[in-house]
Amino acid sequence: MSTLAHPASGRRNTQRVRKWGPAAIVFGIGMALWQWVLPALGVERYLLPPLSDVLQAFWDNRSELVRGGWITFKEALGGFVLGCSLAFGFALVLARWRPLGSALMPYMIAANAVPIVAFAPITNAWFGTLSPWSKVVIAAVLCFFPVLVNTLRGLTSLRPESLELMRSYAAPQRVVFARARIPNSLPFVFSALKIASVLAMIGAVVGDYFGGSTEALGVQIVSSVSLAQYETAWAAILVASLIGIAFYAAVALAERLVVGWHPSIRAGVD
Amino acid sequence: MRSRIGTAAARVAVLLLVLAGLWALWEGYRKLWESTGWTWPFPVNSTTMPHLHDIVGALFDPIREGEPLLARYMLDAALFTAKEAAVGFLIGATVGFLLGALIARFGVLQRGIMPYVVASQTIPILALAPIVVVGLGSVSIAGWTPKDWMRVSVIAAYLTFFPVTVNTVRGLRSADPAAVELMQSYAAREWSIFWKLRVPAAMPYLFSAFKVAATASVVGAVIGELPSSIQDGLGGWIINFNQYYALEPENLWAVNLVAALLGIAFFLLVVLVEKLVVHHPPEQLV
Repeated sequence: MSTLAHPASGRRNTQRVRKWGPAAIVFGIGMALWQWVLPALGVERYLLPPLSDVLQAFWDNRSELVRGGWITFKEALGGFVLGCSLAFGFALVLARWRPLGSALMPYMIAANAVPIVAFAPITNAWFGTLSPWSKVVIAAVLCFFPVLVNTLRGLTSLRPESLELMRSYAAPQRVVFARARIPNSLPFVFSALKIASVLAMIGAVVGDYFGGSTEALGVQIVSSVSLAQYETAWAAILVASLIGIAFYAAVALAERLVVGWHPSIRAGVD
Repeated sequence: MRSRIGTAAARVAVLLLVLAGLWALWEGYRKLWESTGWTWPFPVNSTTMPHLHDIVGALFDPIREGEPLLARYMLDAALFTAKEAAVGFLIGATVGFLLGALIARFGVLQRGIMPYVVASQTIPILALAPIVVVGLGSVSIAGWTPKDWMRVSVIAAYLTFFPVTVNTVRGLRSADPAAVELMQSYAAREWSIFWKLRVPAAMPYLFSAFKVAATASVVGAVIGELPSSIQDGLGGWIINFNQYYALEPENLWAVNLVAALLGIAFFLLVVLVEKLVVHHPPEQLV
């Protein structure tokens, strides 16, 4: 692309400002509130230290925080991959044998209503407190049910016309899945994957709460709070959130690349 | 009538079958791993995977000689956590709806606030819990200090508001544009368009959010109790039994069983209210 100013690029810039401007303004207001207004209102340091102090704490502890973030992110990513791929495979089986799927669906939904993070101490007992596997498994279980339920819904909510067309071609099940069911499920899958990316990160951090390698981010948060180093705790929370946002954004980007054709993406919903 | 009894019987049969299947999977897995001595992914014994009948049995054992059954304590704890979760749900759902209504009304807010609504959920809430619980302890509004459990409700509310906001925006916008135009052509006030058209259109979306939120509020309540040294709820018992896991693993499993049932009960309550309020919920929106 040439860098010459041309009317289309001007319009695109205006669009970009329209799209990102409000978010940028809110960001600025939020940061200003955090830095100056909250301390002025007398919000205690242990509640929320000023932004500059948190950033300073981040800078002072950057090597531990980044290493901890990496450890926790690996746990979350492992859980995400494990949980989502199991869920996807399971959903394919349930969609292939519909009576089984519709009989089990209410139980999947009920399982989705179980506070799974409460099982973190048990996975610690299974794999050992220091093992990353206990966090990977919690993150995987957290990801599993939303992805399963949404994928199954996507695989089975095909338009009847598409199914009839496939049937009129005498397409075998394998082809029905490859050409119709799986493409139809992708928007559902991706909205579940976005939820799962956030859940995986939370699962990994919560898993750390019940004990983990002292380097992991969640353990750092807990120990800095107990040592009353609130700036460091907030810096660690900031790192965890940034990783969560980046994870979410990566999934959203993949969604855009894979299902960019879908109306809900083109309309810019979500 | 007859067929209704028939489907009810079929449902009960499926329920029993699923429970029996889970039991068989659990005990079969135990047996296989114990007899072969496999230690991957983790060694199986009565500490890591207690017998299911021992877990259920633990509920009906007195926790100490001459004291009431564990189930009695669990019931009290579940009610305590349910109270925190319910208050959190109400706060979260209200805030979520108001925020969603504002975002749906003012497009500029969608672009300005929505990214942060999403980002807010990436904050690891458990990490925030001690700060919220300690911090709110020093807050008093006109001489009234919130009780300890109410601070846990704030955490439950934080997890609750997000799905409600997202679906309120979607739902309020899903009103039929032709109907909105018709109302406008009658010079209907925006307020009455909102209540007569948009809110009814949003109902199915709202309830599908409430179902997610109901679970989230229980998760928030249990998690919020963990770092706040509140002993009366399920979270307190989880911490307590976690310390004695090596001695009595059944107890921790039993608390988790109760927590699971509480989550499912909250979910089913919302489903029930939905059945009463929304007459034709669309299939796709569970």
